[in-house]
Amino acid sequence: MTVGELKQKADLSYDISVAKNNALERSESRQIIAHNEHLFKADAQTICLVKTLSEHKDIFFVLDTNNNPCEIKDPAEFLNKLIERNQETLNAYSQIHETFKRR
Amino acid sequence: MSTGVLLYCSNTPTYDYHRIAERCVELIKKNLKLEITIVTDAKTFKKFKPLGMINYKLIEPELGNKRNGEQWNQLERAYAYEHSPYDTTILMDCDYFCYTDNLLTYTNIDNDFLIHDKIHDLTGKGAYDFRKDSIIPMLWATVIVFKKTDRAKRIFDMVKYIKQHYQYFCKLYRISFPNFRNDYAFSMAMNQVNGNTQQTFLPGKIPTLPALAKILEVKDTGIVFEYDNKINEIENQDVHLISKEIFNV
Repeated sequence: MTVGELKQKADLSYDISVAKNNALERSESRQIIAHNEHLFKADAQTICLVKTLSEHKDIFFVLDTNNNPCEIKDPAEFLNKLIERNQETLNAYSQIHETFKRR
Repeated sequence: MSTGVLLYCSNTPTYDYHRIAERCVELIKKNLKLEITIVTDAKTFKKFKPLGMINYKLIEPELGNKRNGEQWNQLERAYAYEHSPYDTTILMDCDYFCYTDNLLTYTNIDNDFLIHDKIHDLTGKGAYDFRKDSIIPMLWATVIVFKKTDRAKRIFDMVKYIKQHYQYFCKLYRISFPNFRNDYAFSMAMNQVNGNTQQTFLPGKIPTLPALAKILEVKDTGIVFEYDNKINEIENQDVHLISKEIFNV
């Protein structure tokens, strides 16, 4: 492989890395949801926390993105909302990710 | 409870901001579907094409502020509390293009004043590390979501006070940016009003295309831009555009 070809490959890797970061950022922005007037991120950590707490209690408290406590009185509805948004964003990310493979 | 978007738009000798605002309004109507109020001056107002149901508030813009040697307005933002007719306001730069409805999420919460403290450089170069330019973390006044509460009013009143004594506050906070900049004015106001302690912020980052990225096309779903001799595209993602040349064509 020539130096020119190596540079081309390196440039492509860099471009994909930037595009991946932008796509991830887009997903993370979209993962922010409002529930009971509080903001939450529909990420794996929040989903696992809510799922775990809901298995032990019907009503519980969680911290929002600004560390303010929020009482969750409807765990099933909240968990459903979190999972739906999480999967919506990851589905969109997955479609973009497919285009990286073809580059 | 009313919710709406407040935009400030005033043309300068260098840029036709009304053309940027027209595009911004289209996207707000399409994706946020909220009422819009544009605060502008009479000269700029006459240049707007018909945009449908928009509220206009005419003011005489304050002049004198410059950036990179060019006239730079945006001195009226401190009066947004008084200018906004809404209970909940999304105050945004007219060069912030909403390609999603993400901002609507922030209108349904109990916080009365939210501002971004993080930025995402879409070119991947991390061009916005200003941490060493001040002794407090910089906030980004590109998008501010506020409600008509006493606390929100105190913050805007503090911005007005800082604006009057800007050079003093720049020295106090060791800010190296000499001309008035809303980002720093709001950073200092938030710091003052909250007793020099940590604030609550908008989660996420402002996706931003820095000035070095040349915008090639503004599409209905995203932006095509050139940077480092490469063509890139972002789609279905809100974006803050720093380069304005395309709107002067």
